[in-house]
Amino acid sequence: MNLLYATLEFIGVYVYVSLASLLWAGIDRKLVARMQRRIGPPLLQPFYDFLKLAGKESIIPRDANRFFELAPLLALATSIALLAYTPLGFEPIFGTKGDVVVFIYLLTLVGFVRMAGAVSSGSPYAQVGAQREMTILASREPPMMLALFAILWRLKGLGVEKPFSMGTFYEHSVWELGTPLSVIGALLLLVAFLFWLSSEIEVGYFDIPEAETELAEGPMAEYSGRHLAMFELAGAIKTFVSASLVVAIFFPWGISGQLGLTGLPATVVELLFHTLKVFAVLFVSMSLFRATTGRLRITQAVNMLWARLLPASVVGTLLLIIDTLGVVA
Amino acid sequence: MIPYLIIIPLLGAFAMPLMGLAGRKAGELWAVIVTLLTFGVSIDVFNTVWKKGILVYTLGAKSPIGKGVDFPVRIVWEVDLLGALLALVVAFVTLVVVVYSIEYMKHDTGLEKYYTLVMLLEVGMLGIAMTGDLFNFYVFFEITGIASYALVAFRNDTWEGIEAGIKYMFAGSLASSLVLLGVVLLYGQYGTLTMAYLSKMITGNPTFTSRVALGLLIGGLLFKSGAVPVHMWLADAHPAAPSSISAMLSGLVIKLGGVYAITRLAFSVFGGGTNLRTLGWVVILFACATLIVGNAMAVVQTDMKRLLAYSSVGQIGYILLGVGIGLAAYGSEVGNVALAGAIYHTVNHALIKALLFLIAGAVIHNLGTRNLNELSGIARRMPITSFAFLVGAMAIIGVPPMNGFASKWLIYESSALFNPLVGVIAIIGTAFSFAAYIRVVFTFLGRPCERVMQAQEPGKAMLLPMLILVAAIVLTGLFPWIISDRVMLPAAKMLENTGNYVSAVLGGA
Repeated sequence: MNLLYATLEFIGVYVYVSLASLLWAGIDRKLVARMQRRIGPPLLQPFYDFLKLAGKESIIPRDANRFFELAPLLALATSIALLAYTPLGFEPIFGTKGDVVVFIYLLTLVGFVRMAGAVSSGSPYAQVGAQREMTILASREPPMMLALFAILWRLKGLGVEKPFSMGTFYEHSVWELGTPLSVIGALLLLVAFLFWLSSEIEVGYFDIPEAETELAEGPMAEYSGRHLAMFELAGAIKTFVSASLVVAIFFPWGISGQLGLTGLPATVVELLFHTLKVFAVLFVSMSLFRATTGRLRITQAVNMLWARLLPASVVGTLLLIIDTLGVVA
Repeated sequence: MIPYLIIIPLLGAFAMPLMGLAGRKAGELWAVIVTLLTFGVSIDVFNTVWKKGILVYTLGAKSPIGKGVDFPVRIVWEVDLLGALLALVVAFVTLVVVVYSIEYMKHDTGLEKYYTLVMLLEVGMLGIAMTGDLFNFYVFFEITGIASYALVAFRNDTWEGIEAGIKYMFAGSLASSLVLLGVVLLYGQYGTLTMAYLSKMITGNPTFTSRVALGLLIGGLLFKSGAVPVHMWLADAHPAAPSSISAMLSGLVIKLGGVYAITRLAFSVFGGGTNLRTLGWVVILFACATLIVGNAMAVVQTDMKRLLAYSSVGQIGYILLGVGIGLAAYGSEVGNVALAGAIYHTVNHALIKALLFLIAGAVIHNLGTRNLNELSGIARRMPITSFAFLVGAMAIIGVPPMNGFASKWLIYESSALFNPLVGVIAIIGTAFSFAAYIRVVFTFLGRPCERVMQAQEPGKAMLLPMLILVAAIVLTGLFPWIISDRVMLPAAKMLENTGNYVSAVLGGA
């Protein structure tokens, strides 16, 4: 029975996140348009796009192998599975001790499936795009993992029920530590996470693999019709999930306590509030960043990730560690 | 049932030339029947050991203890859970390989010799897993060795078969003479060859000679397992052998003749009288070197089978690491987990590497090239084979839904708890292995080159073994912790408990 409820909850979350993430894509486009003094598309534009793509004929290149058709399905399946481990204002549905590893694994797997699909198309454009995506992926994950593990390790010290799980963030938050060092460290890590977020969803500086003008859509060059629609939806969900991670780590506060709600209404209110926070984080990391910065070259981006972002998260981690020693009051 | 584990394949091997007279088909059928029966027996033996504990069988009498004396005078076979598990894996992989060979070896001649050798190889490995007598161990060790020299050089009309065979034979004979010297020294010192009794004697009176013997034994056995300073034969022998044989060499021979023997001698024979911490660290040092060198060399290969061979070296590093930590942290929780991880990874890697070599065989059989640069886009023409490769690659990297995850996890966890630096080395090894395999996967998926367009899927007799292995990898991957708790941890506990191993043979004496 429990499993049945969990499944129903999972399906509900999936439907909700699909709608919310596509809605955000619309809001983002509108916001960026306004920043550039354009009117922009209607808010529901991504839904129309999705439906149109889903209805179009999907063309399979002659050189493509079976994985080409399988990849969009796998990408979507992986991002849906990811939702079961994503903190969405409440503890993840299938959250257990150590589930952070599953989260990271599934998050990177979405990227890998995308790459494998691109390589399978047999198109050189897609292949170059996939290589770039691989490079970026290998560079952007270490700082994130370091920061995430450092924070989880630190919170474990405060005594949590399931160490190294995504639910930890709703028991204690980094800001609770309160000491000056920990606050500075956490702020540094927040900056690192915001940059990681933009590289994860590949906007602004990091819009490299897709690079519309240079590489003709990169990995997605050969995809069309419903296959592309699935990839678009998977990408939107992944964006929402990545931002949810940042929100859960740094802004986990709920409002159902203040409103005096419990049970199902509390969950719904938390989910809505979480969505608001996700939109706020994405506004900074995605819309603003996208509207104000151009693309870097791949070498510059890699350099930036290894020489700026990784040191930032190393320093933040060290500050959090030094803080436990209690040398600075 | 224990003796049938040797009787059946030995009978199979010796009757093979006769069966070969009845024609090719009869010989193949005979080989399949024999290996199938052996597999059945090994299931039964495993089941018995799993339920009842250590099995002892004495050749020629009811009890190993001689008349009027209080020490064992006969050859004993002693099967604990680790031995039974490995016997099961050996029988399984051999069966799969023999079925595969029916189609794969279609174009070769002298097949009755081939199947004889394969069954002798199986006899040798089963014997190593079962024996409780040191000289008997040496004999089975040599059977395994000689059968594999002959099989590596089986295609004697190719230059590389002969070259690799000679290299393997010269260095391998030297290594097994080291083992023999170790056995001689132990016999001279203690006057017995029964492992259990020897263990008791060494515990009571550890001498310098016993330590020298241990050094010689470990040295010879590290060679057979392909640990790093002495891994060079492996990178030549695996590519040169027929792929079905590479699958057995890489999946089984290096583990039975190498790692299993080291583990057995270190725990069951020298467990009481030696400083296990020092021995453990020696093994860990070799393991770390093996991990890094094997996996790093795999990244730069352009020859598919050479890549897999180096990857085998790298994976042996993980197994040795688990064994080393099991020795160095003897008796603690960490040591137990590490040992369970090593045993688990031995089994998993046997399945995975057998699968990968069978795939390599299918590809080479079809396209006639091992060069990865000429193999791009195979997935277009050989989707099932490529899918099987994807599963194998994911499993060997240690990606969650496959079986490699749990075993590597146990090794990572215990090595990180034991010594973080060792844990880091293990992770670096995996990063290299990831790079090596992702390159092959992307090559397989990429744009098909002209040569590949003529390729087609292999026939059923080659696909079926691959799919069986894929199923085994995925199914065991779905229940990793059940397997670990029910089989691997008890096997590790049984291995660590030297007292039980000794008293199973000697009784109360």
